[in-house]
Amino acid sequence: MPAPISEIETVTQPKLSLVGLTKQYAAGLPPAVDHLDMEVGEGHLVALLGPSGCGKTTTLRMVAGLMDPTSGSILVDGQDVTNTPVHKRGMGMVFQSYALFPHMNVAENVAFGLQMRGKKKSQQTTSVAEALDMVQLGHLSKRQVRELSGGQQQRIALARALVVEPTVLLLDEPLSNLDAKLRETMRTEIRSIQQRTKATTLFVTHDQDEALDMADRIAVMNGGLIEQFGSPVDIYEQPRTRFVANFIGRANILRVTVGERNGAVSDRQFRYAVEVDGLGSYEAVGESGLENSIRHILIRPHRLRVEHASTPGANGVVGRIESFSYTGDALTYRARVGGTLLSAELFTSNEGIIPQGSDARLAWRADDALILPEMVE
Amino acid sequence: MSVDTQSFTAVEAAQHPAGRGPQEKRTASRNRVTYWALLVPGLLGLLVSFVFPLVYMIRMAFNEGEGNGIVRQTFTFSTIAKPLLDPYYWKVTYDTFAMGLTVAVLCVLVSYPIALFLVRTTSKWKGLLLALALAPLLTSAVVRTYGWMVILGYDGLINSTLVDAGLIARPLQLTNNMTGVIIGLVEIFMPYAILAMISGFGRVNSQLEEAASSLGASKARVFTRITLPLSLPGVVTAFLLVFVLSISTFITPRLLGGGVVQVLATEIYDQTTGLLNWPFAAALSVILLLLFGAIIFAYQGVIKKLGVN
Amino acid sequence: MSQPIVFKKRVSFVKPAYGFLVAALYFFLLAPLLIVFVISFSSNQYLSFPPDGFTLKWYQLLPQETTFIDGLQTSLITASISTVIVLFIGVPAALALDRYDFRSKALLSSFFLSPLLVPTIVLALGLVLILGPLGLTNTYVSIILGHIGITIPYVIRTTLMSLNTSDTSCEEAARVLGADGLTVFRRITLPIIAPGVLAGGVIAFIVSFDEAVISLFVAESGRPTLPVQVLRYVENSADGVVAALSVILILFSLVVVVIVERAMGLRKALR
Repeated sequence: MPAPISEIETVTQPKLSLVGLTKQYAAGLPPAVDHLDMEVGEGHLVALLGPSGCGKTTTLRMVAGLMDPTSGSILVDGQDVTNTPVHKRGMGMVFQSYALFPHMNVAENVAFGLQMRGKKKSQQTTSVAEALDMVQLGHLSKRQVRELSGGQQQRIALARALVVEPTVLLLDEPLSNLDAKLRETMRTEIRSIQQRTKATTLFVTHDQDEALDMADRIAVMNGGLIEQFGSPVDIYEQPRTRFVANFIGRANILRVTVGERNGAVSDRQFRYAVEVDGLGSYEAVGESGLENSIRHILIRPHRLRVEHASTPGANGVVGRIESFSYTGDALTYRARVGGTLLSAELFTSNEGIIPQGSDARLAWRADDALILPEMVE
Repeated sequence: MSVDTQSFTAVEAAQHPAGRGPQEKRTASRNRVTYWALLVPGLLGLLVSFVFPLVYMIRMAFNEGEGNGIVRQTFTFSTIAKPLLDPYYWKVTYDTFAMGLTVAVLCVLVSYPIALFLVRTTSKWKGLLLALALAPLLTSAVVRTYGWMVILGYDGLINSTLVDAGLIARPLQLTNNMTGVIIGLVEIFMPYAILAMISGFGRVNSQLEEAASSLGASKARVFTRITLPLSLPGVVTAFLLVFVLSISTFITPRLLGGGVVQVLATEIYDQTTGLLNWPFAAALSVILLLLFGAIIFAYQGVIKKLGVN
Repeated sequence: MSQPIVFKKRVSFVKPAYGFLVAALYFFLLAPLLIVFVISFSSNQYLSFPPDGFTLKWYQLLPQETTFIDGLQTSLITASISTVIVLFIGVPAALALDRYDFRSKALLSSFFLSPLLVPTIVLALGLVLILGPLGLTNTYVSIILGHIGITIPYVIRTTLMSLNTSDTSCEEAARVLGADGLTVFRRITLPIIAPGVLAGGVIAFIVSFDEAVISLFVAESGRPTLPVQVLRYVENSADGVVAALSVILILFSLVVVVIVERAMGLRKALR
């Protein structure tokens, strides 16, 4: 029976599509980017997140046209631009080093893209002024590039990329060269500018906090592949692989044998009985189809409660506190349980700190133990 | 049982250096047209003004000539053999070689203190002093040789001063002989030696010298055990540079040698312009080239050895 | 209460002796130039020392020496033309060598620098042997041709240095912003590498201007350059006119370099 009309999703064409995008530098070497498929919706900010060497910058540069893919295609608004030369793609890019032209002043830098498009002088001046106002640096328009601070240069680079109303905005680790404080401020600013201009943005970073904070979607990359693509909450709460679980946030990961299904939590999450190697039987949650297999479970350190060793309960293990880190507001215990080291994070309270060497019970709610769908050999 | 609790807080080390964009240079085949287009004019220029003349000259060395512009197109080793078998040319080659060696040794000796000084000094005049050391390179060898003719000449600076001071009775013969040529060349090549040494002194480090001092080494010891060995690559490079420049130089031996000093370069000139025996001139040039090549080859070996140390 | 640590400098006379040595060596280095300067004002007729008196007559006689004026003209023309040519063929070559990767790159790099490894006199012979039968000796062309080979390495070297230290991201940024290859070169690359290119051009000019051996071989009779004229003059006579000319040449080179240094210095500040 066909679905009622109200349930048919309107399919909007993604602004940017990557289809089977591959980059192989030399035959025999593993590809830097391996048959990547990804869609970026209009107005979305998608973060390409991953460790160095995962292929995120390579992907970005291929989208920009600065690098030719070995195979695959790039589509903007449904049009194949894979063979379009860089200067005809109409995109905007902010480089890690900002790449402001040193021999031109701020206004000339920002106007450059408009010049290339043959805009009239008067129009250039107006647009440049608007762009500079948007990054709140209108007063610097006549300054030379070398007189600007890092944060200012970055904002000018952003203005320069946005003033041409690019189809796609590409950001290559734009915050990496800033100090920590500035990075946080700029994070918010870039995000707000992006949302105001509704620019479809691809953002490369190795900083998970940045990605979680700024992105509409995150593509976690590893070894040239997207390990997981989803919203920040999805990525954090429902990682699919150990890599993603470890890369975003902190993780306790235990190898388990999954037994029978034990009921449902929602229409997509189910309870399972799991046998943690050498530690006993517990409950955990996961998607369907995980029964009778070997997987890993993930328990976030801040979802572990630290209790007195003799406290009773279903999901808990007793271990010896090996060390702890105290940062005033937070406390991280590292406890050896059986042969493994688990870490638990809590906010401090007026209860004392459990000393090293004593036993404690680390407990979790069943729903806080997530079975990672990733197959384990 | 594998447990991962380390968090990939993901502060990765790889920062792109600000100077270079990410690794990839353009290698796609559509770029091949571009870079060959960029290279061709330069290649053509070099071909015409450098390669062809060189090749033609080498070819000429295998012809036979009798002077006065008479050249027999043939292919023989006899022309090249002539200077190799002629004791006169052994002497000329020996003189050239000896002159080169002497000039190189002396030049390196007098340039070393200046180079060391320039590398170590923190004075605000450093730039100016460096420019001063290299300024003579702006003038033609002819001008500088002329200056030496005035200094070393019969009535020149040195002789007049010494005679007037009563230190000598008769003026010294400092020009129109090898002595004058050597003195002149030593000075003329100083800027090259200084430059070569400064670039080669990279490993000389005042911190190393201070460390040695604090360990109890006297100033002399610091010099011989630390400074000197570290500066050796620069010294060797300078030595080689001055040597090859000396054995091929023409103007100074000609002027300061007054036609009396015969080196390979002046012989080549005489054969070319005076006697018009071009194959022979080419033969001499080939010998000079071979000498050149052999020395540069030996240099690579020496530098490699020093580098390993 | 902490005591300040006092470092006593050991008084030695090594330092002043060393300084004196360096000064003396500098004096030796600059001796011929200084002497020429002094002689140019000396009223002695011949190459002698000490000067009898002070005079400006040699400078006054200079404009009348047509051989020198002709030689100057030849040198200026040939040096300028070869410099322009060498810049036009050398800068693109440097660009290719730096910005592109290809198999023969290392080989070509060495090739472009190889003229520095060959004795000028050998090159001069080769040139005269080729140009003679072609009837091209004693022409501007012969000199220019001869100087191209020996000046290209300088232009390529300095341009490469500039290219090496410049940020390719700027060029990429320009491309993304819509600039095609030629525009990128014109508006971005060239202004950024201008100091290196300029330096190379100046060195090429000076090398060509001062060059005596190749010019001697290929153009002595017909188109003697200034150094060749000076060479001939000095071989035969030895009066102060040559000294006056030499001083002017020295000052000319100094002025050129200072001007360029200023222009480049301003540019460097822009980075």
